Amino acid sequence: MGLSSATTTATAPEGVQLCIFDLRRGQNEGQELDKILFFFPADLPFSAQFSVIGLSEGLITFTRIFSPEAACEAIEAERHSHVFHEAEPDIWMVMVVEKNKEFEPIWRSDALRKVLKEVHSLFVMFHGSIRALLDKDPGGGLTRSHLYHFVMDYLGDFLVGKKLLLPSFRDALNERGTVQMLTVGREAAIEVQSLVRVLESCAGNMPCHSLILFQDLLVSTTLSPDDTVNLFAYAVLRLTPHALSSGVSSWSYLRKGATSSGSSLARPDAVPEQLHGSLDNSPTGDNSSHVVRPLQPDKWSKGKDGFLVSDIWGAETSTGASATPTVLLHQTQERMYLCTHQHKSLTLIFLLPVSSVLNGDQGVSAVKQQVLENVSLKLLKVEEKLSKGWGGENAYHVSGYRYLLADGDRNVSRASPPGKVTTLTKGSLLALNKVREEVDLDKSRAKLDNAGHEKELEISIRAKNNAWVIARVTRGKELYMVLEKANETLLYASDAVEKFSNRYCNGVFSLN
Amino acid sequence: MSSESGASTSGDEASEPNPNPDHTPKPPEDQLAALALSEVDSHGNGVAHGSAAENNHQEIESDEEEVQANSVAPGLAEVEEASEGSPRGGVGGGVVWATTNSELEIDGPASPSSSGYAGERGSSASSGGSGTDEISEVRKDEIVDRFPDSQTPWVPSKRHVDEDDASISWRKRKKHFFILSHSGKPIYSRYGDEHKLAGFSATLQAIISFVENGGDHVKLVRAGKHQVIFLVKGPIYLVCISCTEEPYESLRVQLELIYGQMLLILTKSVNRCFEKNPKFDMTPLLGGTDTVFSSLIHSFSWNPATFLHAYTCLPLAYATRQAAGAILQDVADSGVLFAILMCKHKVICLVGAQKASLHPDDMLLLSNFVMASESFRTSESFSPICLPRYNPMAFLYAYVRYLDVDTYLMLLTTSSDAFYHLKDCRIRIESVLLKSNVLSEIQRSMLDGGMRVEELPLDPLPRAGSFSPHLVQHTVQTDSPDRFREPYIGVGGPAGLWHFIYRSIFLDQYVSSEFSPPISSPRQQKRLYRAYQKLYASMHDKGIGPHKTQFRRDENYVLLCWATQDFELYAAFDPLADKALAIKTCNRVCQWVKDVENEIFLLGASPFSW
Repeated sequence: MGLSSATTTATAPEGVQLCIFDLRRGQNEGQELDKILFFFPADLPFSAQFSVIGLSEGLITFTRIFSPEAACEAIEAERHSHVFHEAEPDIWMVMVVEKNKEFEPIWRSDALRKVLKEVHSLFVMFHGSIRALLDKDPGGGLTRSHLYHFVMDYLGDFLVGKKLLLPSFRDALNERGTVQMLTVGREAAIEVQSLVRVLESCAGNMPCHSLILFQDLLVSTTLSPDDTVNLFAYAVLRLTPHALSSGVSSWSYLRKGATSSGSSLARPDAVPEQLHGSLDNSPTGDNSSHVVRPLQPDKWSKGKDGFLVSDIWGAETSTGASATPTVLLHQTQERMYLCTHQHKSLTLIFLLPVSSVLNGDQGVSAVKQQVLENVSLKLLKVEEKLSKGWGGENAYHVSGYRYLLADGDRNVSRASPPGKVTTLTKGSLLALNKVREEVDLDKSRAKLDNAGHEKELEISIRAKNNAWVIARVTRGKELYMVLEKANETLLYASDAVEKFSNRYCNGVFSLN
Repeated sequence: MSSESGASTSGDEASEPNPNPDHTPKPPEDQLAALALSEVDSHGNGVAHGSAAENNHQEIESDEEEVQANSVAPGLAEVEEASEGSPRGGVGGGVVWATTNSELEIDGPASPSSSGYAGERGSSASSGGSGTDEISEVRKDEIVDRFPDSQTPWVPSKRHVDEDDASISWRKRKKHFFILSHSGKPIYSRYGDEHKLAGFSATLQAIISFVENGGDHVKLVRAGKHQVIFLVKGPIYLVCISCTEEPYESLRVQLELIYGQMLLILTKSVNRCFEKNPKFDMTPLLGGTDTVFSSLIHSFSWNPATFLHAYTCLPLAYATRQAAGAILQDVADSGVLFAILMCKHKVICLVGAQKASLHPDDMLLLSNFVMASESFRTSESFSPICLPRYNPMAFLYAYVRYLDVDTYLMLLTTSSDAFYHLKDCRIRIESVLLKSNVLSEIQRSMLDGGMRVEELPLDPLPRAGSFSPHLVQHTVQTDSPDRFREPYIGVGGPAGLWHFIYRSIFLDQYVSSEFSPPISSPRQQKRLYRAYQKLYASMHDKGIGPHKTQFRRDENYVLLCWATQDFELYAAFDPLADKALAIKTCNRVCQWVKDVENEIFLLGASPFSW
């Protein structure tokens, strides 16, 4: 096996590598290539790819000697960080990122791992599990081309210019894998509730789920938390008004590329060309054209009836209309038709069980018709109400504070608007990133301990640059905060947290 | 794969990529690939062994270092004897061993200090002339102190030699340390037999060189609660595998200290052996020094000097320390590089020749070497040692002599034939110390202990006072009733203050309060120690630190750290402590320390750092 080329430098031009491999494949010498299901950059010589996977595999095996219940999660080397995620049993995702010249702690491995988790969850939502695909496709060719397009399209969203901007210390006040909610008044909430009820009634006897977004914020969901997170992420990436008009800035952390350099994504197929390098190197071969690419950019558009359409899933042979996409629900393992209706800032997603809809797309069309007839008026009203109450992009800014509030049990987070976070100095953000890394470690240890009680923690640090960096963890809720230009006394900082907690968190983080 | 349990070792060997030292090294990829095989194998073995290892298992889980009371291994003392016949002398060149040494050592009692240890101290207390209730108090503290303070009684020569990487018990140990050579040969392992760990050692080497071949250096691997920390020092590789939740930075410092301890015994010139022969086997050079390493590793869980990079002093009246300093200075002028008088790990006095400065880490390693080697206790010794921070390439010669059970004098020189001169110096010093009552003051101070949070003065002292009345020399009963440790007994000091450590940046010294309830059991003390260590690491982060202030509250403590240019204060409070009161209390602690600095610190030691 020509692995001797570990000596060749394993550095991708962008300084990022991402691979997915299956430990059950390629067990025999000479067949190692079979392990690799995905590798970015695809044009990296196989020897260099093997070097990454060989090291990963070696360390997974090695660490299991001591830690059989949780194998290798991260490697920190002087110049690179490797982040591991066992997405499915024996199917591993590994991301390698380069450190900066000063070797500053710019990465937080949990933040990078959440990227891996997110792309995998989204993949499973559309294509089912990787293992299931491989079982149907022992050669692996189909699985590889699915992964290739999906992950490349996903990475495209991180592309700024020619660089992949993965979550770094600058994103220390974000929490990937959570949902951002719109705060609504009581009256509006009642309206939304009745909208949901009407929507459900349109589906007749079918069990129907719905998700309603205002701008890039969640208003209502009837899905399980996991499924909500996945569908919310997809909606913000591809379906909401911001996503449809790519190039318009979004405040969501999910669309990094779109915020900083909208134009590079506006061109169709810009992503594949920039990231894929020469297509000859892609492992997909010829069957790429048959692969459905749910994350392909700029493929969704709003039809005249307000329903979003896309030709990603091909056209229905009988009518020539676009086929309705389906998604797999994590909780019930049920496949659902995905229908999206949009009115101004309001995006309404409803899911119908494939097994319950007769006549496939025709059945879906019938429900859509029902929705148009019964829901339109309500939709107008709700949209109007929410728009009136909406404070704009900086609605959740709290002056003097830069914060992130995350509720791990509900997968919900709220944070200072990105525009405000950029005013923080690098020093403050690096310090916060470090504190978060520490809290991440504590949390994961507590999880492994399976200790009945939740972690309680309070950290307040007066950093070198005089900023206060604060972390509070209590009953599954986390609050991170940076106070710059604050008074030097600890009591002042505590008081600031107390005030914030009482005012915006129902006193969850208050001590009295 | 289907090997029976009995064949575990051979099974491992078979899958081991490079068991034979003369074997041409395979590319690391192969070795890494082979890992998969050996893993499967040993798993099989582990399962087969399962029932036998089960009993051990529980006990191992319960504590990282689980020191059994019966683990005092008699006759483990002959460190020097063992190394004398080894090539070690050759490395340093011209090592002279005073003949008296080995003779005395061989016949020496196994462990004079471990028997009647507490009793001895108790009796000297009563002769000290203090009141009776104080003695009983001292005894109580004694029990508290015993664990963290007295290493020698429990340190075994080598633990669990029957284990290897196939044993479940070995895998479950909370903290492993390994030293290996760059060719993958084992040099030291905290647990298990090095020879049986050859395959495991080769695996560690493969990981390190695999990453290095890619143009990078591996520092850390995380897996669940485990961390694997790597440190490469030329041809020497050091690895720690731990699930103790200590931060990476702390564990790395511990590896650095272990490397330093190795240099202290061998000097860096050992590298030359590897240059000549990469497959050089270093184990014989370190023969018999297991206790030194295990004692150092043990200190990683109780001695703040290991992470503070500072030393601590035995509290003594200023005049007493002056008296000791004067006589040490006297001999220093006669060609001694450093003269150090210590009591356990605490410095009584320290004097150096002009322009020579002693790094706190060197002091830690030197005192550990002396205290862990039983032979030093039983005779006067003259031993080549290297101070890695002072000069990693050269040997110095240490004349070591215990003056009483805990107090020992170290005279360091560059000359290999100074034994008789240093012996004379020691005789002079000893007689002066005896005459001026310094030795008895030392004993008394050991009994009285150091600062106690219960005694934190409510108001700043009007004068530069003494924190403990016993320290004022020649005073009769200055115990004033208001200073009695009444109000806070059992709950620590005011405002829920449980403990503190004050580190003076300028002096390279720290002072730590005595442990008092509720931090009374060794387990609680170790937990607090770890909490401090974590706080220190967080404050001194390399990339973004040092921070100025830190407040931490978790289910165990409120911890406060305050760092200035002059000092750092680390304080632990009751988790329910009030913030404002805690801050106030910290200020008072700082004031208190400043008020009594004459007694708790060695002042005027700065001539070292010209």
